[in-house]
Amino acid sequence: MEKYSVIVVSISAAYLLACLVIGMLPGRKASSSAAGYVAGDRSLGVLVMYFITGATIFSAFAFLGAPGWAYSRGAAAFYILAYGTLGFLPFYFLGPRAARLGKAYGFVTQAQMVSARFRFPALAGVMALISTVAFVPYLALQMKGAGYVLEEMTRGAVPSWVGAAIVYGVVMIYVLRSGVLGVGWTNTFQGIFMMALAWIMGLYLPHVLYGGVGPMFDEIIAKRPELLTPPGLTSGGESWSWGEYTTAILVSVIGFAVWPHLFMKAFTARDGRTIRRTVVLYPTFQLFIIPLLLIGFAGVMFSSSPDAPDQILPHMLMNLELSPVVVGFFCAGALAASMSSGDAIVHAGASILVRDGWVTSLRKPLEARVERLVIRVLVVILLIGSYVLAVLFPGTLVDLLLFAYGPVVQFAPAVYATLFLRRVSGAGLLVGLILGVATNVLFALYPDLRPWPINAGILGLAVNVLAVTLISAVTKARTDEETERYLAIAGGRDLDEPSGERAS
Amino acid sequence: MSVRPSGSRLPYVLLGIYIAVCLFAVTWPGYAWFGARVEPRIFGLPFAFAWTIGWVLATFVVLVLFHRSVSRRS
Repeated sequence: MEKYSVIVVSISAAYLLACLVIGMLPGRKASSSAAGYVAGDRSLGVLVMYFITGATIFSAFAFLGAPGWAYSRGAAAFYILAYGTLGFLPFYFLGPRAARLGKAYGFVTQAQMVSARFRFPALAGVMALISTVAFVPYLALQMKGAGYVLEEMTRGAVPSWVGAAIVYGVVMIYVLRSGVLGVGWTNTFQGIFMMALAWIMGLYLPHVLYGGVGPMFDEIIAKRPELLTPPGLTSGGESWSWGEYTTAILVSVIGFAVWPHLFMKAFTARDGRTIRRTVVLYPTFQLFIIPLLLIGFAGVMFSSSPDAPDQILPHMLMNLELSPVVVGFFCAGALAASMSSGDAIVHAGASILVRDGWVTSLRKPLEARVERLVIRVLVVILLIGSYVLAVLFPGTLVDLLLFAYGPVVQFAPAVYATLFLRRVSGAGLLVGLILGVATNVLFALYPDLRPWPINAGILGLAVNVLAVTLISAVTKARTDEETERYLAIAGGRDLDEPSGERAS
Repeated sequence: MSVRPSGSRLPYVLLGIYIAVCLFAVTWPGYAWFGARVEPRIFGLPFAFAWTIGWVLATFVVLVLFHRSVSRRS
């Protein structure tokens, strides 16, 4: 291995070691119950919540994909920034309600909360299935991202399959040992690290290549004006439509907060106040997209182009003859982005499979010790399965992710209805969910069949809501005492829970 | 909406209005009418970029104000 690669590898290795240490420490603190492993005994404060949500959202996909969008699709990339304005806001109202219910009923997952309200275990099973189908390609993509960056940056000294295995070996160790607390504390560290790194790169690259951010855009405006004309371009290079731009933002605003691995962090928070503060602070995390877009724009006039738009950042770094120390830190930043999403996904995926796919839907409670053990076994199985997928199917993963991303948004009507609406039936939600997902997948597969050129997820949501409304009107919605009690607890008006916050 | 806190509804109404205005401003048609242009440049950024960043910051300020006004009452 040449000296250059040795330095890059050493910095990355030091970073992995730091993550391992930070991730291992909290394991001693959590109780040995499922609530301890999955929900951290509902103990997390604002600082950790802020980073656990922020760093979970910003994955390897954001670190490589956001610059890729700016580079190839120009102004279309502003959509990523735009949906973040309001995307997390629903959680301000959903989160504290979920947290109160979690405390009162012992929920640790989203589907558990939904199916308990309607006493409809099948809902939990179907939601668990959809989540898993969404999580595995997502996780595989995070692994690919980490492996790819390591291979490129060490000039092939660390092959991508070895890199991915080492990085996710570290993730496996701290997730197995510390559960969600390990995820939380490493994400705090990784979040700070990747934010700092993105800002440094985002200001440094335009400076080195163009003499600053202003001159960079001067040059793009002069030579590639179509790139900066809103709403930007499609991946094929044609103009994007306003309908697609607008509905892409809308679907994200509606569905963002219901992603299961994100939503279930409501059950880890100390109280509703913590969740609200996290949501209030979240736009400051969102600003982290700005430097990532600047990096992508810096690539527009770069002397050579990468094989795929996602590779623009590593491509530039490799061709700039930068110091290996800088490149090493970039590597660590990319690993941070990959790991901080991958750890939350695998932890959530395993917890959901056991809690919803087995315990809730089949009504077979497990002893706490057994449940924790089964979740851990599934963490290993999910990681290995995703790893095999990442290594065996190189090209098709991004397509898989497209199908995964849409269906999860279809959870939104069920989650909102569970927490807010009285006259909705479980059967209606189940049929709505299935029809919504089917519509979504159909139009994602065959975009030409869409009645209007708008986001497939919005079409799915329209069908979903319509089905829920119609079926809830004809089937009998449960409005008994149990339902009233559930909604009262959600609203913070329950007498059994004097410490619970009021909704105001 | 089944559960509504007892105090003043005003902050909730104002937040609702802000959400509607913000959505209008970052998507079609508000964005297309007012934000979707390159000039004038703000700190070197194309106007549409700065416009969208501006709404992220505005959301932060509004959320802080909203959160303070509803938590003080409880």
